[in-house]
Amino acid sequence: MDHMFFIFLSSGLFLGWSLGANDAANIFGTAVGTKMVRFKTAAIIASIFVILGAVISGSGASKTLMELGAVNTLAGAFMCAFAAAVTVYWMVKSSLPVSTSQAIVGAIIGWNIYSNKPTDYTILSQIISTWVLCPVLAGLIAILLYFLTKYWLKHAKIHLLRLDSYTRFGLIATGAFGAYALGSNNIGNVMGVFVDANPLHDVHWRNFSLTSTQLLFLIGGIAISVGIFTRSYKVMRTIGKKIIVMTPITAWIVVVAQSIVLFLFASQGLEQFLLSKSLPTLPLVPVSSSQAIIGAVMGIGLAKGGHNMRWDILGKVSLGWVTTPIISAVICFISLFFLENVFNQIVYIAD
Amino acid sequence: MFHVKISLFAKTKSLESKIDLFHDKIIDVAMTFQKAIRVYLNEQRSNEYKKLNKQIKQIEHDADIIRRDIESRLYEHNLIPDLRADVLNLVENLDKIINKFDEVAYRFYIERPEFPQEYHMRMLELCDQVTDCCENTAIASRAFFRDISSVRDYSQKVYFIEHETDVSSGHMKEAIFDSDLPLANKLQLSNLVTEVADIADIAEDCIDELLIFTIKRDI
Repeated sequence: MDHMFFIFLSSGLFLGWSLGANDAANIFGTAVGTKMVRFKTAAIIASIFVILGAVISGSGASKTLMELGAVNTLAGAFMCAFAAAVTVYWMVKSSLPVSTSQAIVGAIIGWNIYSNKPTDYTILSQIISTWVLCPVLAGLIAILLYFLTKYWLKHAKIHLLRLDSYTRFGLIATGAFGAYALGSNNIGNVMGVFVDANPLHDVHWRNFSLTSTQLLFLIGGIAISVGIFTRSYKVMRTIGKKIIVMTPITAWIVVVAQSIVLFLFASQGLEQFLLSKSLPTLPLVPVSSSQAIIGAVMGIGLAKGGHNMRWDILGKVSLGWVTTPIISAVICFISLFFLENVFNQIVYIAD
Repeated sequence: MFHVKISLFAKTKSLESKIDLFHDKIIDVAMTFQKAIRVYLNEQRSNEYKKLNKQIKQIEHDADIIRRDIESRLYEHNLIPDLRADVLNLVENLDKIINKFDEVAYRFYIERPEFPQEYHMRMLELCDQVTDCCENTAIASRAFFRDISSVRDYSQKVYFIEHETDVSSGHMKEAIFDSDLPLANKLQLSNLVTEVADIADIAEDCIDELLIFTIKRDI
């Protein structure tokens, strides 16, 4: 059973690996690309905090995915993660801004259709609304931070060299926060589909204990870390130069905005706090860190006066909202058919 | 906690003082040059002038050491990677001002030009303007590190004073060539006036680049 479990988990691990390679680059990309932070430092910090985020706060966002579709066999979960991974790979190859979150949602819907299970449209519309809300919110936060930082710098009159030290420290601290937020928000994409079919048991050791889900998220977190160490350097170096010319301070603003957004859509603690104050809450949903980055960069561009903005990228992002889940759902549906009829695997258990 | 804070910023703090010291050298050399020309016009190549000339040489030498130290530290500690090239460029350009002061003072020492009394006031006025221009360049450059919002104000002053030096040196050269001095003397004096005015031109070039660097420094 365990042997088969790891074979089926491989697609999730692959998805985790690609998430580590691409999304960790979003967090530390500019810091490493502009040589403000060494890659080794960035990779170690990102890995530790991604794993911590996944294990400690990963359950909130993945719960919503499970409500969308409770994939109840390992083979089905394998195919969902596989379809999402293939979609992400293809979209990256085609240079389209891709989101693992959108790919996995599409795959789950594909599984729902194949297994004749109803899709909860309230949850689905909630998820889709967060896709739009995520870059918009990141953009607004970035604009606010941009003006606050500008005001502070104007009045604080900090020496350029001292500011350089502060920026380095800020990039590392927010990078750690960003990695934690990424782990907690995006682990659902990587391991969420496996939760219902998870054969692992809870682990207790002295005062320390991990639930079976946390253990699953730990494995996913490690896969993300491997992606960070083995692949993200190349991506980081390109990101540092590719995104519009950013100073280390604007890079810091972008990472803070992105991290806050990911955190807002993942924190159960914040949700409980808002509920206790009778305030409206944000749905806990895995959102796209890449699209949060695009939103934040656009926000800064607008704050700077909106010159040289590449508006076409917004069109690409919106196109991704539609195409990514559709492609992923179609791949998942077709692959489930083959897995069930050619490889004789049980891909779903009927109610 | 206090110790950690000290070690975290110790490297940058020491370099901050070096950069401040380098700017002090520009003001020192400008003031010493102004004094040296005043002495030269009154006493020619007297011991006092020799002493001041030596002092200028020493300032130039010290500034070179500080400049090299700043450059190597910026690279060794990988500081301000995005603006490092600009800062190095700025420091090199400022060093050219110091070198020019040294070069011109030394030319006075070697060539021993004879300035007729009627040009003394004009020469002193030109030297005052050049000194003022370089002092404002140093202040503008210092502001680049601490308070970019005031770089523009000082830069504007430099541009204004540089224009004044062009006018003063032009009038002086006209007066020299209108005089009855032998042509060799006219050429020598005119050449030296050009050299003095060139110091302000170098300062203006520094400011041109500084303003570009300031735009890049803005977030």
